[in-house]
Amino acid sequence: MTTKPRISRRSMLAGSTAAVASPFIWTSAQAQAANTIKIGLPLALTGPLGSVGQQQKRGAELYAKLQNEKGGLIGRKIELLIEDTVGNPATCVRKAQEMVERHDCRLFTGITLSSEALAIVPKLAEWNSIFISSDNGDGRLTAASFVPNFFRANTSGPMGTRAVSLYLKQSPMKKFFAIGLDYAWGHNSVQVFEDEVKKMGREFIGKVFAPTGTKDYSTYITKIRQSGADAVYTVLAGDDNNAFLAQAAQYKLASRMAMLAEQLELSAMRAVGDACLGMIVSSRYAFTIDNPKNKEFVELWKKAHDGLVPDQFEGEQWQCMRVFEAGIIKAGGIEADKLRPALEDLTIDDIKGKVHMRKCDHQGVQQGFIVKAVKKEGFSHPVPEVIATLPADQVTPPCNKMTYDD
Amino acid sequence: MSELALLLNQSVNALSQAALLFFLGVGLTLIFGIMRIINFAHGTLYMLGAFVGYSIVHATGSFWVALVLAPVVVGVLGLLFELFILRRLYQREAHAFLMVTFGLALVTGEAIRLIWGSDALQVPAPPALSGVIFLLDEPFPVYRLFLASSGIVVAIAIWQILERTRLGLLIRATSQNAEMVHALGVDVNLVRSGVFGIGCGLAALGGVLAAPLVTASHGMAATAVIDAFVIVIIGGMGSFLGSLIGAVLVAFVQVFGNYYYPDLALAFMYLVMLTVLIVRPGGLLGKEA
Repeated sequence: MTTKPRISRRSMLAGSTAAVASPFIWTSAQAQAANTIKIGLPLALTGPLGSVGQQQKRGAELYAKLQNEKGGLIGRKIELLIEDTVGNPATCVRKAQEMVERHDCRLFTGITLSSEALAIVPKLAEWNSIFISSDNGDGRLTAASFVPNFFRANTSGPMGTRAVSLYLKQSPMKKFFAIGLDYAWGHNSVQVFEDEVKKMGREFIGKVFAPTGTKDYSTYITKIRQSGADAVYTVLAGDDNNAFLAQAAQYKLASRMAMLAEQLELSAMRAVGDACLGMIVSSRYAFTIDNPKNKEFVELWKKAHDGLVPDQFEGEQWQCMRVFEAGIIKAGGIEADKLRPALEDLTIDDIKGKVHMRKCDHQGVQQGFIVKAVKKEGFSHPVPEVIATLPADQVTPPCNKMTYDD
Repeated sequence: MSELALLLNQSVNALSQAALLFFLGVGLTLIFGIMRIINFAHGTLYMLGAFVGYSIVHATGSFWVALVLAPVVVGVLGLLFELFILRRLYQREAHAFLMVTFGLALVTGEAIRLIWGSDALQVPAPPALSGVIFLLDEPFPVYRLFLASSGIVVAIAIWQILERTRLGLLIRATSQNAEMVHALGVDVNLVRSGVFGIGCGLAALGGVLAAPLVTASHGMAATAVIDAFVIVIIGGMGSFLGSLIGAVLVAFVQVFGNYYYPDLALAFMYLVMLTVLIVRPGGLLGKEA
């Protein structure tokens, strides 16, 4: 009879998390069983990148729910500790520290911003914790700032940019301009793009950076128009990306040049509508990726979310949870000393195809995808259509590097 | 693009941005003038305008209906807030208002998240305003031209109301000496409620108009109240004309500064404010502090 209140409490938690972006740890769940596998997710649920954090949360929650229905992992239930960091690195470290000290949490994922992840990784050894990134783009995490307890299951920023440049090798476009957000990720990705363009022997005309939270993109759009480039490459996210795209469409920028992007989530496609039609984007995950595992996942997702299809970071988070799953099963436990070697050189075959967590820098070696924003029957907004799949060995940088040799 | 075309293009663009800043700033300054309080919820009400506008566009299919109705809805909410909450606080010290309006900002922000969700929502410009016109052979969005003109129209309307109507007379009189106005048999509380509602409605008007540029999103409120506050400081607390000048000044400095020195994008607005505060501590048209 003891199982009954457990289930109802858990389902109540699952229900309430959808509605409440509240700054509590689910302490009531803590009382349940000491034997659960706790996974800490300090997420940017609010703030400029709140939509990314919300996606990660939904991805992790669906995985935990379905896996727990199957009995959990290695005979233990999965328990998610979810906290809002508002995207602030100091808050993120504090909340993660609380999870370690008060809840004995040793597994982390979901940390939304690269700046937060860079603040967390120096602490992992002290906390004796493993952190598997599901969305952090900054190349340094698997290069200069690499620590042994960090793994990256997702496509990194440099990998996304690399996929675009591999794709561009086959295109006739000659001259490029770039716009990025004025922080770590934007600068990092624009730099990789610039290097790639120059290595291809094409012309990189110029770049400009906008501070996060910019409302008026007209001066940037004017600069891009004036550059006379064949294409503009954008490294923007969240509200900034939406504002840029809505305004670029009003200036008819797409009639002057091709628009390329390091990322464009489904939520952005919904928010800007036809303003993003025709954009060519490096995608970390698209619900239209054609393989049986993904089709199965999309169906599961639609069933759980009133027919909505999964977005980019929902898919990425799901893949990350599958890496956790394979690692924990192989290790037979969650202790860092056991889990780290189990994750090294682990390969899973999931919604994005094969992912190999290579030993040298803990980057997940995986395919790159190029999508185009197109109209599709059954959708009121543009959706991503996969137009190119790029081989993993060409997309992933050499070990401990964020630039490419060729 | 020729220098002249660039100048013209960016000037009209600056006017369109000035209009948005003006809708934010003028409400805040009117409320301050008459009630001596800073409405910290101003940015959130601006955001609420955009979300209410989104729902009205979806229900009626018309941006124009949203443009009229959303400010009315938010204005009425502001009025009710003044009637039932702020009114109880007039005897208290200023920080009581600060706490209560800040609380309103938090509650409204979370309410928006509960009602409309976390994702940004699309509010497209009406088809008639979606095209471009050519200013000296350079394309310019019609919608921005519309923003600039709406700013001019609303500014003239407010100015005429303040100068020519009995309501305007009462507002000006109440801001100068509320007790005297009260002694002359005018219901000052009614004036206060009205002005608070109008100020909130103007913020919401700005929100609806900004939505096609930035989508209806939760990031809208974050900087809006600071923008409005800076404009009010530059123009002089409580001065209508000051908020107009402040909005135009900030918009021009931001647009041209951003174009020529993008690295300093975040600093321009504050540089203007700093300069004004050094030269005229009470603001351009404010009373000397």
